[in-house]
Amino acid sequence: MSMILFLLKIAFLLGLLGLSIHRTHFMSILICLEGMMLILFLMMATFTTSTNTPTTAILPILLLALSACEASTGLALLVATSRTHGTDHMKALSLLKC
Amino acid sequence: MNPYIMSILICNLALGAIITAASYHWFLAWVGLELNTLAIIPILAKHHHPRATEAATKYFIIQATASSIILFSSIINAWNTGTWDITQLTTQPTPTMLLIALAMKLGLAPMHFWLPEVMQGTDMTTALIIATWQKLPPMALLYLTSNQFQMVLLSLLAISSTLIGGWSGLNQTQLRKIMAFSSIGHLGWMISISLISKKLLILTLIIYLLMTTSMFIILITSTTKTTKDLGMMWTTSPTLSSIMMITLMALGGLPPLTGFIPKWLILKELTTNLLLPLATTLALSSLLSLMFYMRLTYVSTLTISPNTSNSPMKWRFKLTKPINPAPMIITTLLLIPITPLIY
Repeated sequence: MSMILFLLKIAFLLGLLGLSIHRTHFMSILICLEGMMLILFLMMATFTTSTNTPTTAILPILLLALSACEASTGLALLVATSRTHGTDHMKALSLLKC
Repeated sequence: MNPYIMSILICNLALGAIITAASYHWFLAWVGLELNTLAIIPILAKHHHPRATEAATKYFIIQATASSIILFSSIINAWNTGTWDITQLTTQPTPTMLLIALAMKLGLAPMHFWLPEVMQGTDMTTALIIATWQKLPPMALLYLTSNQFQMVLLSLLAISSTLIGGWSGLNQTQLRKIMAFSSIGHLGWMISISLISKKLLILTLIIYLLMTTSMFIILITSTTKTTKDLGMMWTTSPTLSSIMMITLMALGGLPPLTGFIPKWLILKELTTNLLLPLATTLALSSLLSLMFYMRLTYVSTLTISPNTSNSPMKWRFKLTKPINPAPMIITTLLLIPITPLIY
């Protein structure tokens, strides 16, 4: 396995860890999600060059378009959460606990 | 909500699931999953109530994370094998990562914590969509890649799903949470034979969809949301109340109703493959969910309401237009004689 792929895998796992072990803010979850999407973008771009398959060259751009939509949805939910709950603290999202 | 926006959202919801199910390339499957998630978020948050916003937020985080893990596993597979074909996901640890991400999307234990809360935070119709339609894209991917999974992990997911679905549902009074735990339990059964027999996976899925849709249609028509409302459901519609009793027995998997078919055939396949501890644990843990179905039956149909009611039919100011419950209910109760044709 090449060094680039190893580092990108580690970076993705770090982003995933940061998303799962969030401390207080919803914003940090969204940032980690964006970080993971960026790592996926890098993986796709380096896949195209390392394996010399020009057919998959368009994939990073499509990924970017869709992850931008996802990021904006996340931010809209952040705004909605701060309007209904007052903060973006994750502990405030406890209205629906069993 | 504005009907134009609602129709666009519903079209995208359907389109996302169909894109995922009809795709060959992993990227297109991911696009379908993302489209599905993006389309249902405004539907979840439609009421702008704090509970609805919280449900939409939790749903979004879980589904976005799971989608990115799915794409990550497919990129790793592309680096290792050179192909983006969905059925060629072969080198470990990729299928394991994919299975865990799909379990997160479906709401299998131990990644189930979001499902009761999300279903509780929305209205009944949206909960119906989450319990039925949103299970289809991950199930399509599971169907295509199921031959690469490890039986150990599948058994762990199945046992924990049925046990947690049964045990956690015992302390609930809110009907949407009860249906969420029932969904978790049924998904546990589905995942246990996904490696052995794909035909049974699809059969269990279809029968689960029929039974859950019937139950939700009954609850939507009678506008009952808690077990307290169920006590007075007989005034809304006595027929529907007695039909609900039999539908709950079908959900519990009792013969001679349709819910027995998947359980019977799954136990037969598991014992043929000599996976006896798994089969025994699944069968015994479905008794737990039967307990809360029986409790709902008891409250709604087998007890009399504590107050005297002056009229046998309740006067409702706003009539809920029911989706026609008859075809769904007939299929959830009477499908056993056609078992040889569908298996």
